[in-house]
Amino acid sequence: MKSVLLAGMLVLGLAGCASQPETSSVIDRAELKVDPEVIYTMDVTELLKTRLEQPGGDSLLQVQFAVEARSDTELAWNVTWFDASGIMVKSVGEGYRKATLLTGQTRYFNATAPSTRVTTFQLHLREPK
Amino acid sequence: MLIRVLALSAGLAILAGCAAPTRYIDPAADDGAVALTMDYRDFDKAATDAVEDMLSSGAVNNPNGGRYIMVVSRVTNDTMQRIDTDQLTKKIRVALLRSGKVVTTTAVGLNGAEDEMTQKARELRNSEEFDQSGVQRKGSLQAPDLSLSGKILQRNHKVDKEQQVEYYIQLSLTDLASGLAIWEGETPIIKRGSDKAVSW
Repeated sequence: MKSVLLAGMLVLGLAGCASQPETSSVIDRAELKVDPEVIYTMDVTELLKTRLEQPGGDSLLQVQFAVEARSDTELAWNVTWFDASGIMVKSVGEGYRKATLLTGQTRYFNATAPSTRVTTFQLHLREPK
Repeated sequence: MLIRVLALSAGLAILAGCAAPTRYIDPAADDGAVALTMDYRDFDKAATDAVEDMLSSGAVNNPNGGRYIMVVSRVTNDTMQRIDTDQLTKKIRVALLRSGKVVTTTAVGLNGAEDEMTQKARELRNSEEFDQSGVQRKGSLQAPDLSLSGKILQRNHKVDKEQQVEYYIQLSLTDLASGLAIWEGETPIIKRGSDKAVSW
């Protein structure tokens, strides 16, 4: 009887030590991520998002951002898309899109979600090497 | 003799040490040098531009609901390079399929079906060797609604001591019922580099 109790306690103890896999959680992900090198040369002046109505009641997320350059510079940007569960949704291309900005120039860029499943996004701005 | 062999071995070892090692490139994080020829990043950009524009313009929204059926028509390679235009069209097809708005037929093509098995499987009809309940019935194939066609152009210019190579990726999506191009797009890809580099 004692040994059964001991074995039971051991099993419970081990179960308590095992890390539980996270199955669902709300992720507070920043929509805009700007690398420090980019902040030196340009300002992100706007970040807009809209949903384009689709037949059947769905909608497609579209994002637009604007950057104003303080000096001639280069920019690389990429949007990662996520569904309602926070799972990444594959986009058409994988790579960063590159852009050149002239001093004082404001440029507007937009990206459209690859599917109506997309609910959130993360825009990353970096300086290409 | 021994000295010569040793010197040769040492030389080879140094040369091998200088050679760039072969490595994998992650397309999602490639800041590598740009070639004057078209590379995978150019197709990536052209496909992204085309698909995002098709989706945001509403051109691939079927007003009757459901998915459109698309066939890939001719995409002409008018460049100095040997390009398999499937590198572009496949990306577009995959993205449109994932969007849930367009599905591509492989049963029809300009030079015959892309997948000939669709027809071959129908040759089993009335064969006593096959259970006929699993054989495709007549009239089950679906005809395309849309056709994707296009052209890739190349223009070379000399600018000062450099050369400028311009590529234009032009695509059209035609509504096969009316023959009208319901969506058109052009992605210019302009590169400037050494006059000694070759773009073919």
